[in-house]
Amino acid sequence: MKTRGLSLMASGALLFAAGCELPPVDAVDMGFRGVGMQHVVNPGTLQDSVQAIAARAPTISGEAPADMVPAPEGTWENVQVLGHLSEAEFNRFMLNMTIWVAQNTGQGCNYCHVVDDQGQVNFVSDDIYTKVVSRDMIRMTQDINTNWSSHVGDVGVNCWTCHQGEALPTNYWFFAEDGRRDIQRYFVNEQDRQIERYNLDETGVRVISQVPLRGDSDNRISTNDTRHAYWVMLQMSEALGVNCTYCHTSARFSDWEESPPARVHALRGVRMVRAMNESYMLPLQTTWPENRLGPLGDGPKMQCATCHIGAYKPQFSNPASYGAGHPALTRIGVPHGGSSDAMMTMGLEGTQGMP
Amino acid sequence: MAEYQNLFTQVQVRHTPDPGVPASGGDRRIPDAGFSYWLGKIGDAQLGPVYLGWAGVLALVTGGLSIFLMGMVMLASVSWDPVQFVRLLPWLSVEPPGPEWGLRIPPLSQGGWWIWCGFLLTVSIFAWWYRMYSRARQLGMGTHVAWSFAAAIWLYLVLGFIRPILMGSWSEAVPFGIFPHLDWTAAFSIRYGNLFYNPFHMLSIAFLYGSALLFAMHAATILAVAKMGGEREIDQITDRGTAAERSQLFWRWTMGFNATMESIHRWAWWFAALTVITGGIGIVLTGTAVDNWYLWGQKHGLVPDYPQVWGDPAVPVQPGELDAPMLAPPAQGRPGLDTSMHEVFVVPGTDVQVSFAEVTLSQEIVR
Repeated sequence: MKTRGLSLMASGALLFAAGCELPPVDAVDMGFRGVGMQHVVNPGTLQDSVQAIAARAPTISGEAPADMVPAPEGTWENVQVLGHLSEAEFNRFMLNMTIWVAQNTGQGCNYCHVVDDQGQVNFVSDDIYTKVVSRDMIRMTQDINTNWSSHVGDVGVNCWTCHQGEALPTNYWFFAEDGRRDIQRYFVNEQDRQIERYNLDETGVRVISQVPLRGDSDNRISTNDTRHAYWVMLQMSEALGVNCTYCHTSARFSDWEESPPARVHALRGVRMVRAMNESYMLPLQTTWPENRLGPLGDGPKMQCATCHIGAYKPQFSNPASYGAGHPALTRIGVPHGGSSDAMMTMGLEGTQGMP
Repeated sequence: MAEYQNLFTQVQVRHTPDPGVPASGGDRRIPDAGFSYWLGKIGDAQLGPVYLGWAGVLALVTGGLSIFLMGMVMLASVSWDPVQFVRLLPWLSVEPPGPEWGLRIPPLSQGGWWIWCGFLLTVSIFAWWYRMYSRARQLGMGTHVAWSFAAAIWLYLVLGFIRPILMGSWSEAVPFGIFPHLDWTAAFSIRYGNLFYNPFHMLSIAFLYGSALLFAMHAATILAVAKMGGEREIDQITDRGTAAERSQLFWRWTMGFNATMESIHRWAWWFAALTVITGGIGIVLTGTAVDNWYLWGQKHGLVPDYPQVWGDPAVPVQPGELDAPMLAPPAQGRPGLDTSMHEVFVVPGTDVQVSFAEVTLSQEIVR
C-alpha cells in the first residue's frame, strides 16, 4: 500500500515535471552541427493542432471569377472599399465573411447589417459599429496583402486567419491598468507595458553592444531593461510556438549574418503589427462601444499571437487562412461608382512606407 | 560517552540527549534537546542543543524581517489579494530602483523596499557568518566552513552590491523573486553578448560540475567501504585501515591515481569555493570591463569560425532594412504613451484628433 502510494506520487511528479506532454519530442536541426540550432517539436501535438485546424476550417463557397468586371455603377449604395468586385464575387465575399467572422454570433448578416422598422435588412446603413469596424478591417487586410507581402507572402491572409469564426480574435491586448500598485511595480504590468512599447512604438529590443569592451561602448542599457526586452521576445516565441534559435543564431543573438531567414520575416512582421495598430486599430477607438474597450478606454490591438495563435505559420498554413483567391482582399479596394462618401478617399495609400 | 554509529545501524537508540563536549569560554548553548524518528532516518536522531547567541538572534531577526518585507511587498503588488499572491508568487518580485536613481536611495515605492530587503538580508548573512566563525573557534575547530561560506557571500555581494556600485546604479542588481531573478540571469547573459564566452564563467562551470563529480566519487567511495569502517574517515587518516587501503587501491586500479583520505576534502573544499570565487570575478568584470563577451572571445581567438549556412544575407533585404534603434530607456510614466509619435493622431477621414492624454482623460470620465 505504501509502495503504491509512493509510486503514484512519483509518476504524478514525473507527469508534472514533463509538463504533461506525451513523448516523443523531436528536435530538428536547422543550422550548423553542434551549435544547438534546433527547432523543438512534438509531432503528436503538432499533428493534433493541424487536424484541429483542418476540422474547424470553413468551407469556402464557389470560386472567384478569372476575369472579373466590376459591378456597373449604381449596383450598390455606400460601398467604399469593395467597388472593384463583380456583383457575384461581392455576394460570395459577404457570405464568406459572415462565416469567417460572425459564424459563432448566431446573427448571420445582421451582425453587421441593421434591421429597420419594417423588419427589412438595411444594407446601406452604417448605424451599427460592427459594419464600420468591418470596413476598416477589410481595408486593413487589403493593405496587408498588398503592401506587406514581405511578411505574409503571396498567399496573404483573410479574416478567418485571425478571427477563426469569432467576432473577436483571441489574442488582442489593451493598455495595462496602472493603479492598485501602491508599494511596488507589478511584475505582470511591467511586462505588459514593454509589449505596448514594442507593438506600438518604433522601440527596438536591441540591447547588445557591437564592441567587445565597455570603454569603447556607449550602450548604457541596463540588465533590468534587458529583462523587459527578454519578456517581449518570450512573448513572441510563445506566439509562434518556437524557441529562440528559430530566429537567432545560438551563440550571438544580435548577429544578422548567421541568423536564420525567419528573423528577417519576424522583423517585418513586427513592423507590420506596429503599422496596423497605428493605422487601423488605434483610430477605431472612437468607433467601438464601451464593452469592447480596455480598462483605460482603449480599443483592442493586435500582436504576433493575434494571427499566429501559437503556430510559426498562421493556422499551419491551412489554405482556408489564405487571402489568395479572394479578390476582395488582395488589392487596395476602390469605392463603388455612385457611392458618395467623404471617407472614400482615405486609406488608399497603404502603410508600407511607415517605419 | 561511548557511541557507535554506522550506516548499517538500523536501530535508533533512545537515551539521555548527549550535551556534547564542553567548550571553553562563555558557553550559552540552550540545554534543551530531544529526538526525532524521521531525523534519525537521514542523520542523527538527536535534535539540539542549539546555541543562539547575539549573532544568531540578529541573523534570525534581520533575515526573518527581510523575508517578511519581501512577502509584504509582493502581497501589496497584487492588491493584497491572497489568492493572487499564491497564484502569481513565482512571478512576483521586489525590484531594485530604476536606472534613473543611480546610487541614490529612492522612495520606498520606487525601489526603496529592495534596498531595505537587501540591507537586512546582508546583515543577516554577515551575522550568520560570524556565528559560524565564532562557534568553530569556541569548539577549537578550524574555520573552514566559515571561509567557504564567505566565498559564497563574495558572489552575493558582487551581484547585489559591488557590481552595482562599480556600474553606478542599483538597477544593475538582481531582483528578489523566483522567476524575476531567473529572468535577470538570462537577460544578463543576453545583454553582455553571451556569458558562456566569459572565461571566468567557464571556470565557474568547470568547478561546479567538478564539485558534483568529486562529491559523487567521494561519497560513493566511502559508502563502498562503509562495511570496513570507511566512513570513520578520521580514524582512517590517522591509522590507515583496510577501508582506506582498499578504496585507494580501487582508484589506483581504475585511474592510476588516488586522492588521500585527507586530500580529497581539500579537493572538494577548493572546487566548491572556487565555483563562487571565479563566478564572482566573471560577474564583476561584466559590464565594467567587457560589454560583449562573444566579441571579446572573437577578438581573442576563443570563438570558432562557423560556416554561414544561411547565406549572407539569409534573405534579400532592402538597404538599411535591418537597422533599428537600440532599446531606449523607458520614459517616466507609461511607456508607449510618451513618444511624440503617438501624441496626436487624426482619425482618418474625419477631423477628429485623438491623443493618449485623451485616452486617460476619457477613462477618468467613465469612472
